[in-house]
Amino acid sequence: MSDGRLTVALSKGRLLAGSEALFLRAGLPFPENEGRRLVVELPDLRFLFVKDMDVPTYVEHGVADCGIAGRDVLLESGSDVYEPVDLGFGRCRLVVARLKGTNHDLHNAATLRVATKYPRVATEHFLSNGVSTEVVRLAGSVEIAPGLGLADCIVDVVETGRTLVENGLEIVTDVATSSARLVVNRAAFHAHREPVKRLIATLAEAAA
Amino acid sequence: MNGRQHRLLEVPPGVQCFVGDEVRRRRAIERQVLAIFEGWSYEEIIPPLFDYADVFSGPALSARTYSFVGRDGSLLALRPDFTSLLAKIAAGRLGQRPAPLRLYYSGEVLRYELPRAGRQGELFQMGLELLGGEERAADAEVLAVAAECLTAIGAQDWVLALGHVGVFGGLLEGSALDAAQLDALRERVESKSPDGIREVLHATHVAPEVTEAVVKLADLSGGVSVLDDARDAFVDVPAARAAVDDLAGLVAALVEAGLGEHLAIDLGEVRGLDYYTGLVVRIYVRGLGFEVGSGGRYDGLLGRFGRPLPAVGLMFGLDPLAAALEQRPGPEARVPRAATVRDADLGRALVRAIRERAAGTRVRLEAGDEP
Repeated sequence: MSDGRLTVALSKGRLLAGSEALFLRAGLPFPENEGRRLVVELPDLRFLFVKDMDVPTYVEHGVADCGIAGRDVLLESGSDVYEPVDLGFGRCRLVVARLKGTNHDLHNAATLRVATKYPRVATEHFLSNGVSTEVVRLAGSVEIAPGLGLADCIVDVVETGRTLVENGLEIVTDVATSSARLVVNRAAFHAHREPVKRLIATLAEAAA
Repeated sequence: MNGRQHRLLEVPPGVQCFVGDEVRRRRAIERQVLAIFEGWSYEEIIPPLFDYADVFSGPALSARTYSFVGRDGSLLALRPDFTSLLAKIAAGRLGQRPAPLRLYYSGEVLRYELPRAGRQGELFQMGLELLGGEERAADAEVLAVAAECLTAIGAQDWVLALGHVGVFGGLLEGSALDAAQLDALRERVESKSPDGIREVLHATHVAPEVTEAVVKLADLSGGVSVLDDARDAFVDVPAARAAVDDLAGLVAALVEAGLGEHLAIDLGEVRGLDYYTGLVVRIYVRGLGFEVGSGGRYDGLLGRFGRPLPAVGLMFGLDPLAAALEQRPGPEARVPRAATVRDADLGRALVRAIRERAAGTRVRLEAGDEP
């Protein structure tokens, strides 16, 4: 940051391959085979490789000037960052799913138990529909929760839907659609305008 | 006792305490900033720490306000901001004083807020309000004061990011969005997300050309030349165009005053829309991820207290200013050395210490005989 070089926060997870392809398409440098290194310094850019849920945090605090995060993660984090470009890759849906064949009305429950990695999104979705929820916060393998009786339904991201089917679940309703977004720190956007705007334009063009 | 069990040394989230150089740095910044406020003929107000809750009725803050019931059953609140209190004082105690009024304050506001990227439950703010007066001149004045403060405290690469809520308002004039839709739209404009704006407006009856104008608005940020782009973009929308012209007039004066390199235009800055009526400003210092100050024009507020006056105000957060200057040697390094006063006879020790103090020396009184 202080040396004028921009810092980019990227997810080590689902969006990594798409991010790399985007940078290469844009003619920007990208770390090669860095293995387990989490901070990689290249002549023009510094890269931070972090958990996908943490990308908005690094950018909101200005530790990274920019980052790539899924809309699903941004909805959950509620971070105060700019989100100027839909990068188009990493498309998925945030859905409510339940065991196939259970017919009770999820939107008419006294208290609904929801297993999810997205407690904020899930709570907001059901509360705004007038349903009290008890969120069962899980870090992964959310799909098994209804079958084991841990929850009535789940809120999770779906790409192909295969995992849902394999775990005997069906989609009830969509909560949101998601894709990878370029996010930018507000202060860097204004106080470091020229290089930040150049990077945004370069990535937007490569994404189009 | 109610509430969660805690150890006595535990601190509740959102509070801070400062010691040593942290304090000296903050007080040095505060002294410099307040001296500049005084230098522009602003007068300090010490408002109450709490007041009736309906004084602070901004919807954006009410959810974050500490309120409590007084002995007589009335709902009271710890101040979540200063502006409402100063407006009340301007209409009340200072009601007979002719406008313009130049007022400033320095102190803590309290909010339910978990610590996060520059937010705390207890925030120390230094701010000024210019109530009444010619509006463009008032806007220019408070920005000039802010610029002098930033220069004086040694901030580098600082930016005044200026917007005007009238542009957004003008584009949506007559579009009949309900409060929830407007809120969702504002959040998406604030995020500068073109797809998000289209998604929100797609579900409404807003005309496609208005949608595209709002998308354009979110993209209108950068140097002062952005105002020319904005004029071209909104040539057919008189209300939005008028707001752009208003901002351009202000910017021309600031550029003439040599502040051009510190200005950014951001017409997508639409936060606090239910409160601000014209200019909005956010102040950034390079290297710090969040703003060090903010403000804007709020012509509607004083009317609530029965003294309708146009008004503009601006405040700095002491913590973010201190954080922005952290890498640099601060004025706290200049603490004068103390003269040690020591005497087996306490009376004689006091006499000597008082004499040293009368001469202006910093003293340190040590009990007992020579070591």
